[in-house]
Amino acid sequence: MSELLSSLLQDARIWQGHKHRKTTQPAESTGYQVLDNQLGGLGWPRGALSECLLDTCGIGELHLVLPLMQRISAAGKTIFWLNPPHTPYAPALAREGVDLDHLVMINTRDQGDFLWTMENCLRSPVTGLVLAWPGKLASRDVRRLQLASEAGGNVCVLFRSCRFSDQNSPAALRLELAPGEHQELKVNIIKRRGSWPGQRCSIALGHRANIAVQDSSRVVQGPWPEARG
Amino acid sequence: MSFRGPGPRPGGSPVLWLYLHFPHLLLDHVRRSQDATGALAIVDGAGQGVVQACPTARDLGVTPGMRLKTALGLAPDLNIMRADAKQEAWLLEDQARWLYHYAAHITLAPPDGLWAEVSSLQKLYGGLPAIWQTVEQALTERQLTAWVAIGHTPLAARLLAHTGKGECTADKGHILTALGNLPLQAAGFDKKSCTRLQRLGLNTLGEVFALPAPELARRLSPELLAIIQKIQGTRADPKAPWRPPHTFRQRADFIQEVEHAQGLLFSLQRILAELEEDLCWRQQDTDTLLLVLQHRHEEPTRLRIRTTGPEHRAGVFLKLIQLKLDQQPLRAPVTGLVLAVKRFTGREAPGGQDLLGETQDLNEAWHTLISRLQARLGEQALKQLAPMDDHRPEHAWSASEVRKPGKRQDSASALLPHRPLWLLKGPRPLEQTPVAWHSGPERISGGWWDGQRVHRDYYIARLPGGELAWVFRDVNDGWFIHGWFG
Repeated sequence: MSELLSSLLQDARIWQGHKHRKTTQPAESTGYQVLDNQLGGLGWPRGALSECLLDTCGIGELHLVLPLMQRISAAGKTIFWLNPPHTPYAPALAREGVDLDHLVMINTRDQGDFLWTMENCLRSPVTGLVLAWPGKLASRDVRRLQLASEAGGNVCVLFRSCRFSDQNSPAALRLELAPGEHQELKVNIIKRRGSWPGQRCSIALGHRANIAVQDSSRVVQGPWPEARG
Repeated sequence: MSFRGPGPRPGGSPVLWLYLHFPHLLLDHVRRSQDATGALAIVDGAGQGVVQACPTARDLGVTPGMRLKTALGLAPDLNIMRADAKQEAWLLEDQARWLYHYAAHITLAPPDGLWAEVSSLQKLYGGLPAIWQTVEQALTERQLTAWVAIGHTPLAARLLAHTGKGECTADKGHILTALGNLPLQAAGFDKKSCTRLQRLGLNTLGEVFALPAPELARRLSPELLAIIQKIQGTRADPKAPWRPPHTFRQRADFIQEVEHAQGLLFSLQRILAELEEDLCWRQQDTDTLLLVLQHRHEEPTRLRIRTTGPEHRAGVFLKLIQLKLDQQPLRAPVTGLVLAVKRFTGREAPGGQDLLGETQDLNEAWHTLISRLQARLGEQALKQLAPMDDHRPEHAWSASEVRKPGKRQDSASALLPHRPLWLLKGPRPLEQTPVAWHSGPERISGGWWDGQRVHRDYYIARLPGGELAWVFRDVNDGWFIHGWFG
């Protein structure tokens, strides 16, 4: 019994307020040192769900997972995109060095198909990463996906709306994403394994639109206001 | 003597023929397709008389040769199936196909028999009894009834099989004695000759054998002599070997219409097991199955079951078919089904690692996963993306069917222009005033060659919500969002 308890404590699966223990859970580095530091030097947990909560596309949310995509496609594992809200743009992904042969995009008709597909992808040994835009999910379904994810040992990132941030979730990592003033991505850690949540950091992602930090104040004089009236 | 039979071959053992007589093939076929209870009878093409009756029907008094009306009087609940010559020919060919796994030289004897030349197999199987046992076991596995006999000539084997008392012997003398004891009616002569022989006071085949050949030819007919000599083996009776077709095709017929997909699985399991055996035997794989469901009043339903990679396991096929049937409920009750395979691919030797450095297991897992997903979601739901050579953003990418990744080619990715990671499905009107402009304009003009003309100035702009958008202005001064820098 005590052995079981101590192994649970070692694993940091039981949260202890007074002690920050390093978790030994398997994880994949995010590729951003700032964020990895906030996540106890680990990154995206493997064999567990991660949630990214955001309100709008285009704030750098794909760049957050881009280093991981590059690594996984180079390792020959498959990356699944489930129900993306827009078309992942092949020329841009190719430019970033993601091997498109290892990328499979799936669109499902209904929620039943979505969950079934998620489970199958998560449990397969060929999967390296699942990116999914699930929309509304019952917490029962999230738990089911969490189990599938544990069985497969893959990284799975769910992109959901911010309004689910106060709904509790069995996901191991929950990040709230918001845009910053200078094209950076502000990350607020709502939940993570083995430590207090609430860390914040911001990741400079100006390069995603080819904008250097120093000239971010540069404004191209577009023919804008007159044209719209 | 002018004719010599096949006789002893130089240096080899004498030729021996095994004959399989299927007394009620159609009945067996229907009964193994469905767990049907109740009496079943096969009636002739005209629907007048009973040709075959199952044991339950026979217990009720229905016998082959009986008129259908009488049979229905005895057993009002009798299930009836009409005999169809074409179907019987198919069925016989089905039997030849599995027998071909055991013997090389097979000849069909329509409508209900098969010859197999077995003397050359004795060494392989370790004697005649072993061959006999193998065939009997194969028959049991397939739930078939057949009367087996061995003879030194094709006709001798056939006559003995028809009696149902074939013996496993290679002794020519013994075979001839057994033949000699056959009554004339069982010898397969035409009616006229049979009557004439009987009027001569002959009752068994042995007595006919004893007659001098020239007399037989003169008094009766040369054709009759030819038959007798072929039975005895003094005249050659060559049988052209049957060649198996290069396709797989199996059918099941249901006497009671099947209304739920679940009811099809029973017979599908059997057919798929045979397919697996067939594929293993051919050392081949397949990636496409065609399943045709026949309905009474409607056009047949055709389902194509595809796997993404070569496959031969029955379990995998069955799962895919189940998924397909779950997605597509039956339109009407099913009266029969046909499973056909036409595409075969050579099987690769299972090696530790293939050329791409992938283990066989992962390769297989990839195919299994993608096949499963495609079977449930439809082949169109899965896409792979690729960049295309075109200046127009909406034409600079393509979505294609998923295929197994090959060796990675080094693309000139650095040469691609800077683009957003999200492309909208179509340009959307820009409704908010951007708070900052970061780059632009980049003029993209093209498409005059295919009528989808594009003439736009692209900018990167930050919207009030903080997101970076790829916006453009078209020739009419309209502003649109075309992508997000995700």
